[in-house]
Amino acid sequence: MRFLKINILVIFLLSSCSLAITKDFTEANVELSNYKNPYFSNVFKDYVYKANIEVYGYEFSGILIIKKLATQHHRIVFATEFGTKMLDMELNKEDYTIHFIASELNKKILVNTLKKDFRILLQEDILVNKTFKNEYFNVYQSNNKNRLNFYFVKKEHNCLEKLVNTSKIKEKVIFNFKSNECKMAEKILIEHKNLKLKIELKAF
Amino acid sequence: MFRMLFTFLLLTTTTIYSQQVMTPKEITDLKKNVKIVAQKTTTINSDFDQFKHMEFLSDAIKTSGKMKFKAPKLVKWSYTKPFQYSVVFKEGNLLINNEGKKSDVNIGSNQLFQQLNQLIVKSISGDMFDETEFTMNFIKTTENYIVTFNSKDAELKKYIKQFILYFDKENYTVMEVKMVEPSDDYTHIIFKNRIENQTIKDEVFKN
Repeated sequence: MRFLKINILVIFLLSSCSLAITKDFTEANVELSNYKNPYFSNVFKDYVYKANIEVYGYEFSGILIIKKLATQHHRIVFATEFGTKMLDMELNKEDYTIHFIASELNKKILVNTLKKDFRILLQEDILVNKTFKNEYFNVYQSNNKNRLNFYFVKKEHNCLEKLVNTSKIKEKVIFNFKSNECKMAEKILIEHKNLKLKIELKAF
Repeated sequence: MFRMLFTFLLLTTTTIYSQQVMTPKEITDLKKNVKIVAQKTTTINSDFDQFKHMEFLSDAIKTSGKMKFKAPKLVKWSYTKPFQYSVVFKEGNLLINNEGKKSDVNIGSNQLFQQLNQLIVKSISGDMFDETEFTMNFIKTTENYIVTFNSKDAELKKYIKQFILYFDKENYTVMEVKMVEPSDDYTHIIFKNRIENQTIKDEVFKN
């Protein structure tokens, strides 16, 4: 009996938490089975950002460069303002190559976190599993291994404004975008909920 | 085909003729004159353009700013375009002003930053012909003496394998610096509007 009560409580908590992100939205039919994230999709463009990073109270800054080499294949470089390369990584759908990493950054947890963040940020073709709607947004839910990604697309300009990576019960990483023409994100803010890590990107 | 071959030969011949290895006497004179000029230089105020070249990019990334130097070793780099960011190298510390947000970083324990700082100071003053730290190659063109400094330090070499300094042939000042990474990607800094020995107040280096 006690076991049943705990189970009911867990199910209640899980279901109430899992609804939190879409609580102001109603589920709709999946009209769009594939959503295309437009922000890093142009193979001819060098995406260059001034980056400010806060990690566990430490702050540092530099230049982040992202280049699409092919579908689901990007080169990512983080360098100091002086141009000294600190991280040079190539990311495919399944694997990755580190071309260079400064010894200060060469920590497994940091590399894995950045790898996961960039995979989410740079994923272009998204398989939609569920759709939610309200007056202003279409929200596309996509399964991402044992996690979920929610794409908040503003109806007015069909502009991706927010991307939230969640576990089954809570938000893990939030990506906020500001874009003038919805083709390139001029500003990006990446905030982790379970790590003290914040990445602020401004295009130039 | 013949035209292509001719063009190729013409270009390579031009390159060979436009870059010549310096004679031992020219090298000795260059070192001597650079040192004389460096000793006379109390301050430098210069604009600069920085280009980051990477093999996979369509275009080099351009940033611009101002560099101020005050002998013996105060240096301030201010990036003004496309963002505001300045760094003062002062007594083992980096004083950073990142778009109005100020922070100090102690670089005393960071050997790499110390070495980079020393190289920056020495490259500005032109006094970096140190055979214990670098192997050097000297070439000349019609406009420049070009000295390639190959790092001997294993840790520094992981980040920058070569510093290439372009000296003005007439006044022996550094006009351009190239910092080449092991991958051959490089950062190219071009100085312009250089003014020497004009008073620069110490307050400038407070950041």
